[in-house]
Amino acid sequence: MKNRLRVLRAERDWSQADLAQRLEVSRQSVNAIETGKFDPSLPLAFKLARLFETTIEAIFSDEN
Amino acid sequence: MPCKSNSPAVRRYFFRFAVSMVLYAVFLVLAVWIFVHFRPTGPVAWLLAILPALAIVGQIAAFGMYLAEEKDEFQRHSGVLALLWGIGATLSVTVVWGSLENFVHLRHLDLTWVYPIFCIFFGIAHALNQARYR
Repeated sequence: MKNRLRVLRAERDWSQADLAQRLEVSRQSVNAIETGKFDPSLPLAFKLARLFETTIEAIFSDEN
Repeated sequence: MPCKSNSPAVRRYFFRFAVSMVLYAVFLVLAVWIFVHFRPTGPVAWLLAILPALAIVGQIAAFGMYLAEEKDEFQRHSGVLALLWGIGATLSVTVVWGSLENFVHLRHLDLTWVYPIFCIFFGIAHALNQARYR
């Protein structure tokens, strides 16, 4: 699944480790989600949306 | 060895794993020593023979507890994947070995080797997972 995590992180000048700390997950988790290798669960997607003060649809896209 | 991070679930897993390894070593030495010196029979022999294996069962249970306690869903997913690869590869190797034993009389594979074989495949799968998502 495509996502805008890298852009959203860059806007806030956060590293993957910074984001991981805020989400309370490992850095590998952030990397796996960001690179589209792992799709987060709905609760984690909501947590991301709340953290970036946006909607899930604004972060993730199911278009190929 | 679920992951590189130090989540509380990982720390608990390593502690339980270490305890089960120590218990395995103690039970194994104890069982061998008693069998060599006293040659027990009946229920005592059965109990002594099972003790080291129970420590290994404890190791398997420790990983199950880790999967239940780990809050990081990606690490859980990674652990389950490594587990499935380990189980699948172990089943494949042992079923091929069994078939070779039946048809071409390959040397008998003692069942106590199944768990170490699983550990090797699980370890490889886990290391590949960690490298992939580094």
